[in-house]
Amino acid sequence: MQSAPTSSSGSSAKTTGNTPLGGGGSKDSAATKRSTRVRPGDFIFKGLSTGSAVLIMVILAGVALFLIISAIPAITADWSTNDQLNTGPTAAFPNFWAYVGPLIWGTLWSAAIALLFGAPIGIGIALFISHYAPRRLASILGYLVDLLAAVPSIVFGLWGIIVIRPFLLPLSDWLSANLGWIPLFGGAVTTTGSTILAGALVLAVMILPIITSISREIFLQTPRLHEEAALALGATRWEMIRLSVFPYAKSGIVSATLLGLGRALGETMAIALIISPAILVSVRLITEGQNSQTIAANIALNFPIATTLQRDALIGTGLMLFVISLLVNSIARFIVSGGSGKRKKSKGNGKPSMPGPLSQVPTGDAATVLAMDAVGRSGRAGVVDTEGHISEDDIEGAGK
Amino acid sequence: MKFKNVAATGAVFVAAALALSACASSTTGSSTTASTASASATAAAVVSTPDASLTGTITAGGSSAQANAETAWTAAYTSQVKGVTVNYDKSQGSGGGVTNWLAGSYDFAGSDAPLTAAQQTSSQANCGTGGSLNLPVYLDGVALIYNLPGVTTLNLSTNTIANIFALKITTWNDPAIAADNPGVTLPTSAITTVTRSDGSGTTQNFANFLSATAPSIWTYPATNTWPIAGTSAQKGGAGVVQAVGAGAGTIGYADHSAIGTATAATVNKVAFSQAGATAAFAAGATTVPTTTGDLSQKFDYTKLTGPSIYPIPLLSYQIVCTTFKDPAQAALTKSYVGYVASTQGQQIAAKNAGSAQVPDSMLTQIQTSLATVK
Repeated sequence: MQSAPTSSSGSSAKTTGNTPLGGGGSKDSAATKRSTRVRPGDFIFKGLSTGSAVLIMVILAGVALFLIISAIPAITADWSTNDQLNTGPTAAFPNFWAYVGPLIWGTLWSAAIALLFGAPIGIGIALFISHYAPRRLASILGYLVDLLAAVPSIVFGLWGIIVIRPFLLPLSDWLSANLGWIPLFGGAVTTTGSTILAGALVLAVMILPIITSISREIFLQTPRLHEEAALALGATRWEMIRLSVFPYAKSGIVSATLLGLGRALGETMAIALIISPAILVSVRLITEGQNSQTIAANIALNFPIATTLQRDALIGTGLMLFVISLLVNSIARFIVSGGSGKRKKSKGNGKPSMPGPLSQVPTGDAATVLAMDAVGRSGRAGVVDTEGHISEDDIEGAGK
Repeated sequence: MKFKNVAATGAVFVAAALALSACASSTTGSSTTASTASASATAAAVVSTPDASLTGTITAGGSSAQANAETAWTAAYTSQVKGVTVNYDKSQGSGGGVTNWLAGSYDFAGSDAPLTAAQQTSSQANCGTGGSLNLPVYLDGVALIYNLPGVTTLNLSTNTIANIFALKITTWNDPAIAADNPGVTLPTSAITTVTRSDGSGTTQNFANFLSATAPSIWTYPATNTWPIAGTSAQKGGAGVVQAVGAGAGTIGYADHSAIGTATAATVNKVAFSQAGATAAFAAGATTVPTTTGDLSQKFDYTKLTGPSIYPIPLLSYQIVCTTFKDPAQAALTKSYVGYVASTQGQQIAAKNAGSAQVPDSMLTQIQTSLATVK
């Protein structure tokens, strides 16, 4: 496309046609064929979009570079003898890894609990909106869930402190009294409610919008034919969802969940406000003094007081968070692209594969036939009534 | 799927932005009243009359403990000197304030701790060979607030406080607490100690007190971050006050000016008062200069005894260069800090931010040191 400016004058492009560009490669000639006139708008728009794409890469690289350069002095320092690092927030840690290790655990742990609560509910809401709710209710509900994403996290934090913490106190007491022998519920039970459980529940609410909206989009993309085929063969609503929607949306659900995980990993303010943190590795959910701190909250809490090298140490923990987030996103991408074998199709179009669910563009007839086959094989096509008539084999068959 | 990576990048940005805005706010006292300077100017022992013809902008930041006082000072000062704007950024905290000031971005830094020797040395890059001055302009007390239904007054001795916060006394009916409170029926419930999860000058001052008065019990370092796990750690003084209010059987520490309606325990039978904090400064503070004219203070906590002296004072500094790069900024900053360190300035902070007044003898010394700034 770099040869385009030479033909920028409209008349030359018109008269000489494609010939000057003939040797420039098939792409160029194809482009010229499509529009023989090159307008200024093309250049400007192409420049803007290319510039934006480049800018993103530059910003990403810039952030990574900033994190690495800032973190190196703290990572390489000897924490026990350095007079900036053996005091304040970084005291009592022999080196950077001893400091960041518990923080990484806390980050993953709180996000995992949040996901445990948030993902099923988010997917449930999405399913309700896409397949159960009346159209009017669905659009209102969808709007409300999206609205949830617009609530600032500090508001969630205050809500957590004032509402969720006291609300969970009776549950904490009960869990401690009756299930205290399980390590999760061990330790001295909380009196103010400032637990990782409360924090993770608020976090779960915060990741609902992202999981719900992405899952909803995928559920809505389930080919109509699959659903109608399942229904026509006598599946109930739930069986239809199990047979046609879930298999179709499987990888999309995974990517929605992992995007939610990404959100949970980086959440800062709500966690910093709600949880009573300590830098240690703990699985306890309802204690006050043994909640593992997360990286983001730790940075927010200690950055203002930190001296130069302590700031570098905090930035180093931020680098670790950056790496974790990249890993999570890479895993999500791997699952989405590798899991279904449909990658070839999108590559064949010569376009960069679209993110998430959109790379799972309906495969059309083949899949429909597969699903119909699967249901048909059960030989109960005429049976209309209850659930449970479709055996496990059928479900697996449809899932292939 | 680059947009996901970008989302991650965005998350880092957001984290950083939040970190920057995450102030360790600990004061909630009213600060809206721009009381006119003439209201309480009578009988001022240390007078600093600002030059009303000055114009310009003073940029500063740091300690959130003195933020409410800064607001009161700024309002009162700019009502007299209309051409000057004072921007004090409390979101930086003490550490950030000193860091930015060392980098030359601030005219003065607000800090709950004086500069360390290393910081004093590195300040010479911007401040000339004379270094910099730590000026103690903000005085308050650390209050011990508790929530114990049925117990309206609670007295704690120094050793008991150290034992409670070192998690060595764990129930309210412990004999040591009972001995401090004859005649009071104490519940059998467990003690939940509430501390700060963020780095804080309040923690620094409280830990200073503990390690100086009960070194055999409180064996942890006196730093600005709470050193032991197992407490209920909350963000900001407001978070501590909130958690203590919400949970029965809790005890925590916070700037006295920020505790609101919470019940504070008496320390060695002394309740906090503004006069008590001022008396503590007068009785126990000694100047430990890091450079000529510097007024870094060190408390001798053993001297903070007696019925009129509150034993846990909290001190915060304004830090300025001895030699500014820009003489105009030097004049502006001297004028403002001079006003802060006047009896009138201290009275305004006491009235609007709930802080205690720094004794006039110290204010005089601050003015003397300030006069050498150029």
